[in-house]
Amino acid sequence: MNNQRGVLTRRSLAILLAIAVVSTVVVTAFIGWRPGNEAVVKPPEEIEDYLFWQAKELTDFKLTGADSKTLGLNDLKGKWSFIFFGYVHCPDVCPLTMGIMGQAFKLMEKNPAAYQEVQGIFVSVDPKRDTPELLKEYASYFSNKFTGVTGETAQLDAFSRQMSALYTIHPKEAQKPGDTNPGDNYLVTHSSTIFLIDPQGRLYGRFPPPQLPQEIAEVFIKIRTFYNEREKK
Amino acid sequence: MKVFLKTLIALMLGLAGLNASADGVDVKILDPWVLAAPPSVKTLAAYLEIKNYGGNPRILTNVSSPAFDQVSIHRSVMHGNMVHMEHLKDLTIPPRASVALKPGGLHLMLMDAKKPLKIGDQVPMTLTFQSGEKIEVTAVVRSGQMEGMEGHQHMNHSGH
Repeated sequence: MNNQRGVLTRRSLAILLAIAVVSTVVVTAFIGWRPGNEAVVKPPEEIEDYLFWQAKELTDFKLTGADSKTLGLNDLKGKWSFIFFGYVHCPDVCPLTMGIMGQAFKLMEKNPAAYQEVQGIFVSVDPKRDTPELLKEYASYFSNKFTGVTGETAQLDAFSRQMSALYTIHPKEAQKPGDTNPGDNYLVTHSSTIFLIDPQGRLYGRFPPPQLPQEIAEVFIKIRTFYNEREKK
Repeated sequence: MKVFLKTLIALMLGLAGLNASADGVDVKILDPWVLAAPPSVKTLAAYLEIKNYGGNPRILTNVSSPAFDQVSIHRSVMHGNMVHMEHLKDLTIPPRASVALKPGGLHLMLMDAKKPLKIGDQVPMTLTFQSGEKIEVTAVVRSGQMEGMEGHQHMNHSGH
């Protein structure tokens, strides 16, 4: 009886081993294979978590800033863009995150080449209350690197969905407790991640909450170095 | 007898320490502040810490400020990377415990500012508890840039 069990165990072990070997070979082959001639350069461990597995090309979009200026994909090219989706009536997470990004930009000044390439974009998902003029004042308060934009629902969706930055307006949920007719005092659900677009206009990385200025600045400098080295190859 | 007296004194001191702060106050409000925002923003957030030295729970039921039309107790809630706010009817501070309102979590939502506020401005607030007790505090408007967010103390960022 004991002996039989031993045989079974040995047999299952052999099968397991065979499965392990075969799957290792298959997975290695799969990972090793990449379309085109893009060299596989593994990002340093300390920035890996912030990067997307593969940079994602964005399709063109059209958002509106102050003075009837528009913002499209071309305006992202040649720059590193930090994008945050929020709304002005948000008193806690939005000014906090904007303040953190503003502080991060300041810390990047130590690296003038990087600093020059950086821009921040505050996308209001609440165009009903946030006019482009209000957004200009709001965004530039936190840093002169910031632009504030918004758009009609279709345009906002076309842009935010590319980053899976979902948002929901709750027209019936009042900011004031017990208010059954919130009117202009409704609540909004939005993403609290900061997205990073590379100078080719591709979604390249992200900073999920909770963020810190030091962390964003340091990680970004490393991401940029990695990107520049990889793009040279 | 000596031992008994010593024990009694120690016990009394211990109880005194549990039941009230050094100056005999049951509830203390620490570091009230308002997160600065651009001048045209009418909705702001205030943060503070409520320390309950007493043996009974204290329930914060109302907050008001002459600088705002209305103040309510709010909480930012993260679901994955999505964030939304919910308002709370009241806020309970358990006995001998402390509740901290800080960025990215519990906050006092200050609605419809009567005039624009800038860094350094003072905002008087009245906190009313279910017991009827009222505590007056003055919150200072300051930049939140170095505050970090609720949840940071639980994260190990050196690991990145």
